[in-house]
This record gives sequence, C-alpha cells and structure tokens, in this order.
Amino acid sequence: MLECRAISKTYRIEGREVAALRDFDLHLPAGSLTVLVGPSGCGKTTALRLLAGLEQPTAGAIVRSGGKPLGVGYVFQEPRLMPWLSVARNVGFALEGRAPKPDITARVAEILDVMGLGDFADARPDQLSGGMASRAGLARALVTRPELLLLDEPFAALDAMTRRRLQAELVAVWQRLRPTIVFVTHDIEEAALLADSVCLMERGVIAERYANRVPRPRDPTDLAIVELRRAIIAGFEAGESRKSNT
Amino acid sequence: MRIGKSLPVWPLVALAIVATWAIGVAVTGVSRALLPSPALVVDAAQELAGSGQLAKHVRVSVTRLAAGFALSTLLALIAAFVFARVAWVRSVVEPPLEFLRQIPPLAMIPLLILWLGIGEAQKIGIITLACFFPIFLGTTGGIAQCDQKLIEVGRVSGLSPNEILLRVVLPSALPSVVIGLRIALGQGWRALVGAELVASSAGLGYLIEDAQNLARTDIVVVGVILIGTLGLASDWLFRHAIASAWPWVPVDRPHESNA
Ligand SMILES: Nc1ncnc2c1ncn2[C@@H]1O[C@H](COP(=O)(O)OP(=O)(O)OP(=O)(O)O)[C@@H](O)[C@H]1O
Ligand SMILES: [Mg+2]
Repeated sequence: MLECRAISKTYRIEGREVAALRDFDLHLPAGSLTVLVGPSGCGKTTALRLLAGLEQPTAGAIVRSGGKPLGVGYVFQEPRLMPWLSVARNVGFALEGRAPKPDITARVAEILDVMGLGDFADARPDQLSGGMASRAGLARALVTRPELLLLDEPFAALDAMTRRRLQAELVAVWQRLRPTIVFVTHDIEEAALLADSVCLMERGVIAERYANRVPRPRDPTDLAIVELRRAIIAGFEAGESRKSNT
Repeated sequence: MRIGKSLPVWPLVALAIVATWAIGVAVTGVSRALLPSPALVVDAAQELAGSGQLAKHVRVSVTRLAAGFALSTLLALIAAFVFARVAWVRSVVEPPLEFLRQIPPLAMIPLLILWLGIGEAQKIGIITLACFFPIFLGTTGGIAQCDQKLIEVGRVSGLSPNEILLRVVLPSALPSVVIGLRIALGQGWRALVGAELVASSAGLGYLIEDAQNLARTDIVVVGVILIGTLGLASDWLFRHAIASAWPWVPVDRPHESNA
C-alpha cells in the first residue's frame, strides 16, 4: 500500500514559485488501478514523478507500508528510448545484468509480440513511428513485472483501434499480476473504462474522486460507464468555472 | 548537386593542381632546389620506395601515432569518468589541466627530452599531450550534455550511479567523444611530425629534415605529400570505422564527404 500524505511540490521558475501540487492526498491500496485525469498543467506528471522517487516533495511525505522498496515501472509522457540501443535492448534495459540472458531474450520477445512490435526487435528507435515508440516505452515498463506501474498518457499517440487493444492488454496484465497502477490520461472515456478509482485533479489538488465498480470486461457504451463519464465531465466543468471565478 | 553525387570531384581537383604545378615549373624555369617538378618528385618517391626507406619511415611514424593515440584515449576517458563521478577530484585537477591545455605540445619538447630522452618515450609523450585534450574535452562535454530524461530512465530502472554513467551517460556522450577522437588524431599527427623534425633518427619528420640538410627538395616534397595523404587516410578510415560500428553516431560519412 502506498499513500501520499499532504504532499506539496513547488518549483521555482525565474524566482517565481509555481505550486505543482498542494496538499495532495492519494491513497493507493496494493493492486489498485487509479486513474488521474485533469487539465494540462494540473500536476499529473509531477504526482507520478514523486511516486517514482524521481523527485522529493517540498512538504508532506509518501508513506509505504511493507518491507523492501517497490519495483517501479514508469511509462514517461515521451517514449524516452536510448537512441543507441535496438528496440529489443531498450525494452530489456532494466533487466540487463539482472537476469540470465536467455530469460531476458524470451521475456522481451514475448512483450514485443504483445505490443505488436515483434518484427521491429532489431530496429533502432529512430526507425519507429511515434505510436510504435510509445508502445516500446510501455513494453520496457511492463517487462520487469513491477509492483508499482506508473503510466503517463501511455496511449496518447495511438490510433483508436490500437488503443482499445492495449487498454484491454493492460487490464489483463493487471488482473494477472496485480501491480498497483497509477494511470494518467486526458481521455475521460479511457479513465472510465480502466479505473477502479478516478481522481480528478485541478491545480495541484484532487478535486473529486469517483469509485468505479462496473464489472470487467467493460464496454464504453455501457450505461454505468456513460454515467461515470458524464459525472467526470460535470466535475471538470465545475472546476473550470471555479477557475474563471477566481 | 547531381554531378557531385554521381562522380567524385577530388581526382579532377588533384589532377588540376598537379598540372598547374608541372606547367608552372616548366614555364618559370624555377630551380629544382626550390621546387622540383612532379616528375622529379615521382622519381624520388620510387627511389625511396625501392630502397625500403619509405616503408620504414611510415611504419615508425604510424606506430608512434597509434601508441600515443591509444595511451591518451585511455587516460582521457579515465579522467573524464573520474571527473563525472567525484566532484572534489574535478575541482582539484581541473585548474592545472586548464593551464596545461594552453601550452602547445611542441613547447614541451625541451622538457620532455630532458625527462624522457630522445627515444620513443619522448615522441609518444608529445603525441599523448597533443591527443589528450581533444578527447578529454569531447568526453566531458558529451557527459555534461547528456539528456536528463534518459538519466531518469536509468534511475527508474534501478541502476546505480556507476551503471547510469556506463549504460546511459557514456553511450549518449559517444558522438561528442568521437569528434574529440577525430580532432585528436589530426592534432597527434601534426605534433608527431613536429617532434620528429626536432630530435629523431627515423619517421616522416626526420625524412624531411634529413632531406633538407642534403638539399634534396624532391624528397622533402615526397615527405610532405605523404604526411598529408596519410593524415587524410587515417581520418577516412576513422570515420568509416565509426560509421559502421555506431550507425547512430552522426559523423559525416566518408561516402558523403564528396557529395
Ligand atoms: N521541472 C519543472 N520546473 C518548473 N516547473 C515545473 C517543472 N515541472 C512541472 N512544472 C510546473 O508544474 C505544473 C504541473 O506540471 P505537470 O507536468 O505535473 O502537469 P501535467 O498535469 O502533467 O500537464 P500535462 O497534461 O500538460 O502533461 C506546471 O505549472 C509546470 O509549469
Ligand atoms: Mg504531464
């Protein structure tokens, strides 16, 4: 279990202080699938970076119950592939030197097939399309079977069909291995389809939480999903009008 | 350009230069001690090649260059590595290095002769001095420019700082290291010939120096052309090796340089 307690994160931009997160509380039960939605600049990426330990909070703490540090998989907002490594070696990057070579090869090949990149194992990153590169970034995070999986708009660069397929794939991985997932997206339909808990963020705080107990597999046209989407959109608009009033 | 791509221009340019040279010598009637004609230079080259002199001097010079280049590459990479990992070493060692960098390697010849004699150690010392800084600066510059975003990938992958340096920072610095190596090769070659001019009994610099003492301008010209040609050839080989070993490193590829 993982918990953000009253976290604040301020950045300095040319002497001016920008609060990316303010009194941010987030409770992540082990094996939960939480989706963060919210307008651009509301602090979603910052929240993931703190959870990943890439940055330290200005105030507050991230509390973790249980012993050893969590294995983290992070899908960045950009693919961030090493241009000097083949796709296969990028995907196996975190495993290299930590598992026997044949194991790595097998696991990498398996995940590349799932991502539809089987034929591009030996390609260089600059030979991939944008969507292929983001799938390679996703494969790199999944291949280690992390306990904490942080995904920053992983499907933003994909066509609707591929996105649908990979959403289902992600849910399958989650149901099989039960990592704790925090998934960031702009796409409210995606949030409603994936999450068991949706957190709507607004200028550095969580403005609203929506539990989602719709049974899986889910259908975007399912009435309960449509209702949830409508509720999130209403929350979004309430936030926008609060913003214009201040 | 279409012509440039389908047909390299450099043979034509070389031919034009040689023709101008031949005609110029014939028309002006300049003495062969000042500038021998191309034909005389070819004769001298054949004479040297036949006696085995040419091969010997080339071998001596190239061996020295290779040894000095390899040594300075090793030293520069180790220094850059330590600088990147240990801040206090950097703050202590950087100022004296900056000072040393200002001194042309040839100005160190007198001291190196005192310390290392006039044998191979002194020649290799000069080359090492000349090659060290381009490689060192290329590497430290490349390390400093490494994309923080890729370093973060290393961090979330659970890599230690040393692993990040080896698996992320150094590979990403490689294009800059390669530029440093290439500049070093040229600098090393110049410094070597300079060192051989001053105190030596073999090598291309010696060949020129000795020929000048004997008033054999034709041999001097052979030596000069050979030095330029070998410099070009080593650079070409180097770029070729880089382009095939690391296809993602942007070097101007040998086959593109004539386009
Ligand atoms: N490294 C940084 N330095 C300074 N300010 C930063 C930095 N990173 C983020 N910020 C600021 O923090 C705020 C939140 O940024 P963040 O990247 O978390 O937003 P986001 O919700 O991920 O937006 P988007 O949907 O556009 O990706 C922004 O105002 C941004 O300017
Ligand atoms: Mg973001």
